[in-house]
Amino acid sequence: MTSFLDAPPASVMDVLRGERATRPSANNTAAAGLRAMLEDAIYELLGPDLRDVPLTVRASSLRRDSIVSTNSAPLAQVRGILINQALRLLCAGVTVDDVCREASLAWCAEAGANDLTRYVDQLDDDETARLAADVEAHWVTLKRSLGPLSNRWLPRTSLRAYQRLAGGNVILRDVIDLMVGTTSSDVASVVLLDVTTSPLDEGAERVMRYHALVQTLRTSIVPLRTSMFSTATGELWSSDVNDETLARALGDVLDVLRGLAT
Amino acid sequence: MTTLTHRRLSQHVMNRLIAESPEEPAALTDDHRRSLSARFRAVTSVQHRRLDAWMVERAGRADGVFRWSPATARRVLGNAALRRSVFEPQLTRVDAVDVELTDQLLRHNAGYARPGSLAWYLASCSSAELGLVSAEATNWTTQLAEAAECLCDPWQVATSDAYYDVARARTTLRGRRDLVVTRDSRRVLVRVRMGAPGKSAGPGLRADLTIDALAEPNGLAAARVIGLWPEAGVVLSVDGTMADLRAGARDLVRTAVTRQRQHLHLAA
Repeated sequence: MTSFLDAPPASVMDVLRGERATRPSANNTAAAGLRAMLEDAIYELLGPDLRDVPLTVRASSLRRDSIVSTNSAPLAQVRGILINQALRLLCAGVTVDDVCREASLAWCAEAGANDLTRYVDQLDDDETARLAADVEAHWVTLKRSLGPLSNRWLPRTSLRAYQRLAGGNVILRDVIDLMVGTTSSDVASVVLLDVTTSPLDEGAERVMRYHALVQTLRTSIVPLRTSMFSTATGELWSSDVNDETLARALGDVLDVLRGLAT
Repeated sequence: MTTLTHRRLSQHVMNRLIAESPEEPAALTDDHRRSLSARFRAVTSVQHRRLDAWMVERAGRADGVFRWSPATARRVLGNAALRRSVFEPQLTRVDAVDVELTDQLLRHNAGYARPGSLAWYLASCSSAELGLVSAEATNWTTQLAEAAECLCDPWQVATSDAYYDVARARTTLRGRRDLVVTRDSRRVLVRVRMGAPGKSAGPGLRADLTIDALAEPNGLAAARVIGLWPEAGVVLSVDGTMADLRAGARDLVRTAVTRQRQHLHLAA
């Protein structure tokens, strides 16, 4: 049986931007309370003493895969980095013909020589071709799904965040692959997107919440939406950020800290 | 006594810091300039030295040779793009970054760029690298614009950093400034930095305050220098008091001494 859709499937950007008219007012009051709750809970967990080495929480700390992730393989890491670079080029309006080569050039310009770039340099022809084909496949999924990205939405890529808590005992680190919208508006308009090359799972939900929490702490303004897109499956998970999202993110962070502290 | 303050970044914090800045900042006189010049002259140097807040924060430790990269190019392009988008509001910030990038490339093609300049670096980049430079500059200009748009007082993007050549001391001081906010007759400087502030961020801000005052013909200090770290969501500030100006000058001289000792150690 052949069936026809009433409308073309929504692109990632369509979902992220949503209906302009239904956006809530910017919440710039929640951050102080969240920070206080987090500080109190960390104090109960770690006590008053300053640690020699701070506990660092990253988005990857929240995945907690029970099995060894396929992403821990260096080639998968490289693929993730290259797709992220390709996303940056796409957002900057660069026409990408050979995604693997151009993303590699951008990566080397950004990171310089490191263990991973040296690892890529010593790949043989077969492995290089396999990596290029893999990156190309993920790139095609990303390019087809992302949809048009207007410059007026203020796209920013690879935005870093760094939050010191409990007098420096705890550090929250985060990198958001793509952020659109502004924090200087009266309505909530900031949308966060994480692009991953692995399939989405329960850990992805925690990561989405973590992005929202760190962004709230960083700018003191609650983002409108947090999302995650998998270039492996073409799936997009997106959820509006509300008090419950942030409270759950806080719980997730404390769970990670409990694990790190023991 | 230091006037260093530390605040979490929020929409109102910047405005409050500007509104509460001292109404009568200190001013450096010719005697101050002569005294500083004498102190720098006492630190002998064969080569011309350039000092800035970053060196003060690093306690004069050598950082290696400067090289252009997307991360080092973003501030120049990002500030220029924001300045352009203020004067040409029809341009989006991304478009303004592209225009600035194209301007640099045209400068190189016209033969006006000297080796080692930003235009020279950009001309040597592939399209992918240029895309990354553009992405980094867009991040910078957007973060700077978001900070500026929340301000209630008139602001402008600084046309250049503050430079001061210390007389007969083979020393150039460079003070960073990104936004200049005007409130009544006083100036407040905003300096944006990526990453998170370290323990020596305060001395860095004081160095910028002192260099800015030295670069002013009448020696009048900015009422306040605000250091903004958007990635960490932190705002630090120092006031334009004589105590802070003196502390800034002392740190700069100390940095010159440390660097001189390093040179001597290397020579030995």
